Amino acid sequence: MASTACFMIVSKNDIPIYEAEVGTVPKKEDAAHQHQFILHAALDIVQDMAWTTSAMFLKAIDRFNDLVVSVYVTAGHILSFVSTDLMLSLFFLRIYTYEKRVNILQTLLNPLYLPGSRITSSHFDTKVRALARKYL
Amino acid sequence: MVDPANTKLGRMLLDEITPAVMVLRTPLVEESCRKNGLSLIEMLTPFCNFINIDVPVRTANDQPYRLRKFKLRLFYSAEIRQPNIEVAKERLKQVITHAGDKDITDLCSDAPEIESLIATSEQDFVPSWFPVFNKELIDAVSFSEHEAFDHPVACLVAVSSRDKDPIDKFVDLFNTNQLPSLLNDGAMDPKILKYFLLVHDNQDGMLEKATGILTEMRNTFGANDCRLLCINSSTDDTEEHQENPWAYYKNNASNDQQFGCLLSVDDIEELRNTMQDFSSKHIIPQMELKIRLLNQQVSATRKGFRNQIKNLWWRKGKEDPPENPNSQVYTFSSTEYQIRVLGDYAFMLRDYELALSNYRLISTDYKLDKAWKHYAGVQEMMGLAYFMLDQSRKDAEYCMENAFITYSKLGSAGRRNATRCGIWWAEMLKARDQYKDAAGVYFRISGEEPLHSAVMLEQASYCYLLSTPNMLRKYGFHLVLSGDLYKECDQIKHAIRTYRSALSVFKGTTWSHIRDHVHFHIGKWYALLGMFDEAIKHVLEVLACGHQSEATQELFMRDFFRIIKETGKTFEVLRLQLPIINFPLTKVVFEDHRTYASPAAASIRENVWQSLEEDMVPSLSAVKTNWLESQPKVLPKKYKESNVCVSGVSPMRSMSWAFIGVRSRVVELRREGAEAIKVGVSFKNPLQIPLSVSNISLICEHSVEFEETESDANGSLIDNQNDKELRTVSISGDFSLETSLFTLSEVGISMRRGETILVQLTVTPKIEGILRIVGVRWKLSGSVVGICKFNSDIIRKRVAKGKRKPKQVKDNLHFLVIKSLPRLEGVIHDLPKTVYAGDLRRLTLELRNPSKISVKNLKMRVSHPRFLNLADQEVMDSEFPTCLRKQANSSKSCTEVDVARAANSIFMFPETTTISWEKPLMWPLWFRAAAAGSISLYITIYYEMEDGSMVITYRTLRMHYNLEVLPSLEVSFQTSPCPSRLQEFLVRMDVINRTSAETFQVHQLSCVGDQWDLALLQPVESVCPLEFLMAGQALSCFFKLKKRKTQGSAEDNISSLATSGRADVRLGDDDSRGLFDTTISPLLLFHHHEKVHQERLEKEHGSTVDFILLSESRSDSDAGLPRTKEVFSYHACHCRIASTSPIWWLINGPRSVRHDFSASFCEINLTMTLHNSSEVAVSVRVNTLDSTPLVSLVSSTASSVSGNELGWHDISNLSDLKVTSDVMGTRTGRVTLPPESVSPFIWSGSSSTRLNLDPLSSAEVPLQICVFSPGTFDLSNYTLQWNIVSSNDGGEENGSRVSSGTCQGHSYHITVLQKE
Repeated sequence: MASTACFMIVSKNDIPIYEAEVGTVPKKEDAAHQHQFILHAALDIVQDMAWTTSAMFLKAIDRFNDLVVSVYVTAGHILSFVSTDLMLSLFFLRIYTYEKRVNILQTLLNPLYLPGSRITSSHFDTKVRALARKYL
Repeated sequence: MVDPANTKLGRMLLDEITPAVMVLRTPLVEESCRKNGLSLIEMLTPFCNFINIDVPVRTANDQPYRLRKFKLRLFYSAEIRQPNIEVAKERLKQVITHAGDKDITDLCSDAPEIESLIATSEQDFVPSWFPVFNKELIDAVSFSEHEAFDHPVACLVAVSSRDKDPIDKFVDLFNTNQLPSLLNDGAMDPKILKYFLLVHDNQDGMLEKATGILTEMRNTFGANDCRLLCINSSTDDTEEHQENPWAYYKNNASNDQQFGCLLSVDDIEELRNTMQDFSSKHIIPQMELKIRLLNQQVSATRKGFRNQIKNLWWRKGKEDPPENPNSQVYTFSSTEYQIRVLGDYAFMLRDYELALSNYRLISTDYKLDKAWKHYAGVQEMMGLAYFMLDQSRKDAEYCMENAFITYSKLGSAGRRNATRCGIWWAEMLKARDQYKDAAGVYFRISGEEPLHSAVMLEQASYCYLLSTPNMLRKYGFHLVLSGDLYKECDQIKHAIRTYRSALSVFKGTTWSHIRDHVHFHIGKWYALLGMFDEAIKHVLEVLACGHQSEATQELFMRDFFRIIKETGKTFEVLRLQLPIINFPLTKVVFEDHRTYASPAAASIRENVWQSLEEDMVPSLSAVKTNWLESQPKVLPKKYKESNVCVSGVSPMRSMSWAFIGVRSRVVELRREGAEAIKVGVSFKNPLQIPLSVSNISLICEHSVEFEETESDANGSLIDNQNDKELRTVSISGDFSLETSLFTLSEVGISMRRGETILVQLTVTPKIEGILRIVGVRWKLSGSVVGICKFNSDIIRKRVAKGKRKPKQVKDNLHFLVIKSLPRLEGVIHDLPKTVYAGDLRRLTLELRNPSKISVKNLKMRVSHPRFLNLADQEVMDSEFPTCLRKQANSSKSCTEVDVARAANSIFMFPETTTISWEKPLMWPLWFRAAAAGSISLYITIYYEMEDGSMVITYRTLRMHYNLEVLPSLEVSFQTSPCPSRLQEFLVRMDVINRTSAETFQVHQLSCVGDQWDLALLQPVESVCPLEFLMAGQALSCFFKLKKRKTQGSAEDNISSLATSGRADVRLGDDDSRGLFDTTISPLLLFHHHEKVHQERLEKEHGSTVDFILLSESRSDSDAGLPRTKEVFSYHACHCRIASTSPIWWLINGPRSVRHDFSASFCEINLTMTLHNSSEVAVSVRVNTLDSTPLVSLVSSTASSVSGNELGWHDISNLSDLKVTSDVMGTRTGRVTLPPESVSPFIWSGSSSTRLNLDPLSSAEVPLQICVFSPGTFDLSNYTLQWNIVSSNDGGEENGSRVSSGTCQGHSYHITVLQKE
């Protein structure tokens, strides 16, 4: 089952702090910027929605053609994004736990982590990719 | 809520959904009209639009109402058919291209700020051609058979009075087969209202004939339906109209013919009357009549319960719908068609209620019949009717959506209808401020055809922008989508326009892929249009794309260079991002009053030098005032704050100074006295592809005058174009110009992927004035010149001294170039890099003054006087080391060390010493490697200018040398009083060769001072049988030390001693050479320093003695050329004469162990033999310490070498921190460990052992250490505490005898090696 997904974590002020292209489809050349465009545009919707609902997980909040954007909004308005052409709820569930990981990671990094700077931890990256392989 | 009719959609509907009139005319009519440059329809159209027709209308219900606005649409019969798709497409394309060409003008301007865009109203930024485009799209689906509002309501038949047989012509016109298919194939009722118009051209005269024809017509067709229209009454063709009703057509016609030039005011009035009459008296009543008629029919057949049931029954019972639902299912005679016509007529006459009820009625029928196109059309009209009624928004939207979906389901047949429906729907939503939904609709309209989709997406994006809150990101995204589609259709100008708008959203975004995509494409498209400046500007933005894949990076680079090549020019680009310049790494290096002998010296931190020069140079403030007093004119005040650099050409040398504390580095670039300013710029290649960067050089400004303004008129070399980001220059011309005032160095590098290269760039000023380093310039891949300006605030700098004000830091690239000063060059010849400890050498300092001005008042200071000292100049002439030997006529001229001079260690050269041009000063130096370790020697030489008129009165020359001192001989002395004689002592000397391969010859032991006599206990041969001390060999020998009673009786004592020498004992048996004289300069001098250095160990008073052991190295036998013998001296100072410790001890154990560390750590067993040499019982405690003080010594030495410590300092101070006040041991000559023995080990036995020793007895204590890694370890980190258990002798006759004490452990080296 071929599917593609782009997982991003966006901090306040729209600054992407983590980005991963996951999925089984071989990476296309223009996929990266296309995903970024879609996710960036979806931020508009997210901004509206985040204040109107108490849910943190906003499923299929926006779509472009066959790409669906789902968002997990943390209390501090750090957003994680998934755009995928296949909605796999399991993956999202894992993302939810992942979000906790992010929080943990950020608190761990707290003295050194500057808000808005990129997450460059390779450990985190491999974890995300491993989970993506598992559920996509 | 505004009136729906006044909204955009309302106006659109009132325009579009109006009665259509079919026009039939003979060619002669057309010919007459052409005289005015107009066709018949064009001539009539302005008068078909009635603002206030004020006609009473009574439709189905009896309540009449008045119609205000009314409009007729006129079409030639040939036009009444479904437009050709290809033609329509072509027209759309033309509209877009035309629009694109129009706004090419502002393509170059910057994209508007998004904030200002939001603030402006909709009309200001939404392109004005959108309505035109939308209308074209809507017109593309006119005259479809399933809708009745495009079906002609009436027919206007026009025949010219010149026509032969006009009456027949009227009949012929209508009966020909040229009538539109709609009428012929029965889609609509062919019996429509006809209106006969006789057009008479007044230029032809014969009005009488025309009236005759009219009478005839009236007889034939009826009196009311005929009319005579006279045109072209104007005699000359210069008729001017105040408000030309045909002004609209002007754009389309290219000729300058005046429209309606032959139409007089009367003619126009007649035209107006004709049309008014036609509308109000014929069309509207006809429509009213038809509505009423149809309404009655529909009521009779379809309304009421009975009819409904019947209808339902009938429809249910009907067979499957025909194969082709679009074929003539509903002819004009069918009830469905009639209901539809009824609805459309009612809609056109603004009776929306009636229209809606009929649409509703028919829609269910169509749905049941599965006539989807008809159904969708009716739904569409229902939605519009709801909208015009301004009620039930939900229903309106539902209907529109329903229609849209239904059309869409039809596939290609319904797509154009769907487009129209979507446009109306979107307009409807926009009219209600539901911009977000409208955007969604526009997005849905965009289908397969890229051009339409592009326009629709662009409209969608504007909707996002207009929605509240603004959805800027969606706006940007849709603009980009639309731009891509425009590009697909080769509408590059539109594509650029959309991308530029999108850029206002994405400007400064951190979403790297987005930024790269937008900039790259916009740049590429500009290049296609030939606007290279803009293109390069945008492509530049994406060059430093380290995050992209390698292929993308290559693509970017390739396209960039292609664009550059296409321009055919060399571009100079401010802020070229390739390669990246790391600003904090930029180092500015120059020489002012501080000069450096070598690059290494320049890299030393400034405060190291400052602490060294503290006492030597005049204080900064004093210097300042001096300068101001002496040279007020040369130094305007403001330049005090600028940096000074040194430059000059041969006749007029210049020099400068600086007050800033940039970590600076100076690299010698000496060209006839000019002193270079060196700037270190670090370039980084962020890409994964290699880059080649050439012609890297600095950009400088030079102004000769000391004028206030820094804009340099005549001396300027590079015109400082700050604001222009891009310019074209010819590099070569610029460069040659620069050489006249200063010289720049050019560097070329090629950078591998991700590489960072530090490039040293120099500028050498040649003429006095002001030099400013503006920036750096480089050439990327031989085609693009990048320029980077150094803004002062970018370069981070450190204020070196607190007294400097921060504001002075401001401009560290601003240099004042002044006349040249002498600059000494100094070098110490033959200074070894690696020496063994104790090596004593004579070195030569050479000072050279290349300038013609001589310098005076030389002072010199060395950071480590223990290591390096100045000798007297006469030493220069004598031979080394022979000069050290005792001469026959040894004079005691300089026995006393000039303590004061030695203390502050500033050496003043004799007053007479001046160094003039090209006559180097050679001065001898004494060097002795005092202690093992890495030593950084800092030497600073201060000198003043002979010529007092100089701006700078003094300079300092700073020299820096690193050397590694290896341990060589380790000497320790043990003295104990001779029990039999007073004032005689037994001295035991232990010498161990710590080197790995070196062989030493112990030559002489001297005792410093006049009051001692020294003699060997044994003959020389027994002491040192091998004559040499091989590597690792130890030597012990005993001496007798005797204190001289008085000065006078010295001769007797000497004779009583066995061998010659008073305080010197020859140890080797080589008699060929004399003894060294320890009382002459170098030995005495160094001994003084050693004494000062070792002094702190001995706090208490008491008689001490100092020893100097002199040895010589023995060159290896297999060495080819005989090495000069090197002299080594070892100083042991403050050796206590009387030992206070009653115990002796010795550690026994292996000296070298092999162990396999991969298996386990290594345990080594040792034993300590303790001996009590006193007459009383002693309690001894052996404490082993796991902290190794000596290790910390080594590390601290290393750190001091690396420059972390400020100033220079005494290494050994740190080493003895551990040995604090409780030290009463006898060991003084401490040994510094070689750095390789830093690996730790632990004592694994009991950490504290206590035992009692009987008088003159021995005991053994077992010890064990654990070693974890191979290495050499010094097991001296233990202490022995002893207590005299029973002190029977109450009165202590000897002052040095105490009842308890602590002894520091002897060093015991053990080497552990990894077992193979």
